[in-house]
Amino acid sequence: MNPVEFSHAVLISRVAPGQWHALEDDLVVGRGEALRRPDGRMFVSIDAWHGAAFDRLAEATLAALPRPLHTVVDEADLDLTVQWQRAGFTTRRREWEYAVPTDPRATGLDSALPPPGVTIKAFGSAEEAPLRALDSTIRDEVEAGPGWQDMPAEVLVLPVLDPSKYAVAAQCGKYVGLLRVATVTRLPRIGLIAVRADRQRRGIARALLAHALGALHRIGKETASAEVTESNVATTALFEGIGAWRTGSNLELVRR
Amino acid sequence: MARTSNGIELEGTVLECLRNATFRVELQNGHKVLAHISGKIRKNYIKILPYDRVLVELSPYDLNRGRIVFRYRS
Repeated sequence: MNPVEFSHAVLISRVAPGQWHALEDDLVVGRGEALRRPDGRMFVSIDAWHGAAFDRLAEATLAALPRPLHTVVDEADLDLTVQWQRAGFTTRRREWEYAVPTDPRATGLDSALPPPGVTIKAFGSAEEAPLRALDSTIRDEVEAGPGWQDMPAEVLVLPVLDPSKYAVAAQCGKYVGLLRVATVTRLPRIGLIAVRADRQRRGIARALLAHALGALHRIGKETASAEVTESNVATTALFEGIGAWRTGSNLELVRR
Repeated sequence: MARTSNGIELEGTVLECLRNATFRVELQNGHKVLAHISGKIRKNYIKILPYDRVLVELSPYDLNRGRIVFRYRS
């Protein structure tokens, strides 16, 4: 039996600012969407039921939006990756997804103590004002350094800073490091781990991880997830050093 | 079954994560489909795991295929 070949007459319609539909016989066979992230970069996504719809949507979005344009694909999704490459996108960076064990016997963090003079404040015990000040300091340092574009964790604007989601390292009455955990789903996600630039390389991040993972283990969570950009050697080493394993990878693609 | 402007959408439960970024999902009616995740979910770093309750848009060309367009919190 010969395979059936379809000829696709796809019509592209802009349905709202930054949103397109691909129509075929009045049926929506694809959608394109553009979203500006807090760092100012424009990300696009296309969901299409066949290649012709994808190509037409890519054509329309590329024609309408300023460049550079970015998108994120699961590296294992070969078909989608090839479709984006066909539209002229190239790989900008890779980020690893990690599964992080929480059991101190597996992580080896049962003996990890904070550096002298540093104390760890448990989730929910940090005061909001100094936590906000630390968050602001770290954001400024990141902006002045690599920028958020290489920080896969920070893609959303957080409307409120909720101390219950943060473990905090304090030294001499000042907050110097933080770790944010999201527990929206069954798999907790380490969304951000950061230490002030002048207090790095002293084991503070490791102590924050020891505290956070230990707390998750005590409430029955065996694993957490985290994403780390491939070029972030220090964080990659930190996670792999406690037995975290890679579960997948995402590619950030760009069309300049 | 809901027929919306988004096509045919059904709730389901993720049974397993497969290779090539696909998931096997059992729909409320017992039908099993292979589904990808939508670009919007990927852009927002939403993880899909086995046993997650999700909303699946079915392909108009093949009712054995779908796209996960929403993950329920519970």
